Amino acid sequence: MTKMRLGLLGAFAAMIAVTLAACSARRADTIVIGSKNFPEQALLGEILAQQIEARTHLRVERRFYLAGSYICQQAMLAGRIDAYVEYTGTALTAILKDPIESDPAAVFARVRSEYQQRFHFDVLPSLGFNNTFAIVIRGEDARRLHISTLSEAAPVAHEWRAGFGYEFMERPDGFPGLARTYGLQFSAQPRILDLGLLYRALLDKQVDLVAGNSTDGLIAARDLVILADDKHYFPPYEAVPIVRDDALSRHPELRAAINELAGKISDEQMQKMNYAVAGEGRDTAEVAREFLHANGFN
Amino acid sequence: MTSQPEATAGPIIEFRAAGYRLPHGAELLRGLNLTVSRGETLVLLGRSGAGKTTAMKMINRLLEPSAGQVLIEGRSTLDWDPIRLRRHIAYVIQETGLFPHYTVEQNVSLIPRLENWPPDRTRARARELLALVGLDAAQFLPRYPHELSGGQRQRVGVARALAGDPAILLMDEPFGALDPLTRVEIRREFIALQKRLRKTIVIVTHDTAEALLLGTRIGLMDSGALQGVYTPREFLHSTDPIANAYAQQLRDLEQFERGQ
Amino acid sequence: MNTLQFFSQHGSEILQGTLEHVGLVAATMALAIAIGVPLGILVARKPWLSKPIIGGANIAETIPSLALLGFLLPAPWLGERADRVAITALTLYALLPIIRNTATGIAAVDPAVREAARGMGMTPRQILFQVELPLSLSTVIAGIRVATVLTIGVATIAAAVGAGGLGEFIFRGLAMVNNRLILAGAIPAAALALLADFILSVLERRLRPAR
Repeated sequence: MTKMRLGLLGAFAAMIAVTLAACSARRADTIVIGSKNFPEQALLGEILAQQIEARTHLRVERRFYLAGSYICQQAMLAGRIDAYVEYTGTALTAILKDPIESDPAAVFARVRSEYQQRFHFDVLPSLGFNNTFAIVIRGEDARRLHISTLSEAAPVAHEWRAGFGYEFMERPDGFPGLARTYGLQFSAQPRILDLGLLYRALLDKQVDLVAGNSTDGLIAARDLVILADDKHYFPPYEAVPIVRDDALSRHPELRAAINELAGKISDEQMQKMNYAVAGEGRDTAEVAREFLHANGFN
Repeated sequence: MTSQPEATAGPIIEFRAAGYRLPHGAELLRGLNLTVSRGETLVLLGRSGAGKTTAMKMINRLLEPSAGQVLIEGRSTLDWDPIRLRRHIAYVIQETGLFPHYTVEQNVSLIPRLENWPPDRTRARARELLALVGLDAAQFLPRYPHELSGGQRQRVGVARALAGDPAILLMDEPFGALDPLTRVEIRREFIALQKRLRKTIVIVTHDTAEALLLGTRIGLMDSGALQGVYTPREFLHSTDPIANAYAQQLRDLEQFERGQ
Repeated sequence: MNTLQFFSQHGSEILQGTLEHVGLVAATMALAIAIGVPLGILVARKPWLSKPIIGGANIAETIPSLALLGFLLPAPWLGERADRVAITALTLYALLPIIRNTATGIAAVDPAVREAARGMGMTPRQILFQVELPLSLSTVIAGIRVATVLTIGVATIAAAVGAGGLGEFIFRGLAMVNNRLILAGAIPAAALALLADFILSVLERRLRPAR
């Protein structure tokens, strides 16, 4: 009887031990880079990973295509990944649950200090581009009407039909706020289109203006123009590498390696890389390697 | 409470107008007045539902009287700590209720272990008890109940109950599940045991021969009440219709034998 | 790169994921046993509790796992860490088989044994630990076995809310349309389930009391 009881206690203890072991088993010289589940994120993760591999002696494990900000945040908290690239606006509203602001410097400062305080994560300087909402028109229209900003577009908007995704239409910081800020009025109610069809509809002249993301690949590949947000309505979504303090203290060489990339990726460069992967179907790692090589990193 | 005769006078067990009613109505026992003297064997005889098991279960407080009281050593069962009361009263049931996951030794040494006896005293006691019920210790101590025959199981049950050397032994149809031949054999051994142990014994049975052979007195029960208390001789010659019916059972057998 | 090469190259990742998964399952089972067995004993003692307790566990079981995980996300404290959410949801799922089997196992103990134990002056606690639990252990382990295999399976869904484990490979593989990644999650998970089932059924068989 006591033998059985001992056996059961042993099994229980083993269960606890395994739980604890599961948390700590990883090789000491390995860094895990995560990414969210769309091509731009995988590209950024790959760039980060290859840079670290080139500049340090660390092994990099890739854990890409995690299903979103929340998943990445949880993975960071649990130490399953050491770093990933987040967008400042998303960090502010989705993770920190703070109200959105439009001043990029203020947003960055806020995110940096709160991430350090609440999670002990270090927010490193932006990689250079701002993946925010982009109001896009055809290049020929921009040139013909001599407009390059949203304020300049407002007077002629009543001649246009607009096409937006469902979310952009519904979000208070989407179309409603935009229309108010710039006094935009279109010839008819904006059409709600599937995100994948927006650019097709624009190019086919079924609509004259769409809301996409500033790093969408098609913007570089076709003759399309982003109208500048001169009133700074859209919040900033600067791409920043976020790294666990824990990883940085174990491997201080990470900081220098990643900071070399600060400000090195422009909106256009990101668009081109996105198009290469999403539009041309090329391999993410290859496209990343090409970028790094072309810009003197390896 | 030990098997040494107490200085206190008076019966060791006493029922005073004791009754028992089920939570939802049915009265299983009413107005029982009965005393059991130290060292005697009282047999409660009656048909199923007569109330004899109910009465017996009130002795070790497995049931509490809903009317009247039951006194053990002069104290109401309700004034005793039920656990201590039961540790000092041996309880043997028809199905034995041996723990299937314990060896014979573990079963028999249950009460000593609950009472935290030192292990060698416990082991010695186990051997002693098996000898008492006529089983070879070396052979039977390591066995499990499912490896034993009905008769062997019943003996182990008795051994287990006697481990703490209690003054009172309660037995509820203890030999009922045994085949007739084994039954006779065990009964004979039990009678010998009775003489050696000199305990107060209460037996519940519906078997007339058993009552006559084992009891110093027979309490006849019917429909929840005590019909009468007789010595075996009185019982055989009683004119009470119920007692008569039981006695008739034996006479029929005699007649059959004579007729052959 | 063929599948075998894939598995050998990504071996340490897969091992990592497996350990995370086992961690989730172990924590869940420890909690579920600690809560479920006492509840099962309670239900065996007071049958009128069967309806609320087993009924409640039944309801938790009926909620689709993904939905249950989603419900728990907005909860204060719980929702802040994905492993808390996952372990809570997984524990709720694991409760029903454990409670039910414990209750059934104890109720199935031979009433004569219980009566003899009572009559000999064993306290209710002694009867529980020395008679009822040992005799029902095999049935209880059977319930634990079912719960463990169930938990290993549902834990793969926990990756959807960021709890990690082998499910993460599956979700990533789905997003990247990469079958090998999916297998990297699915095969170890299935292997874990089979292993757990095997070990526990051996234990169950060995604990069955001879009658």
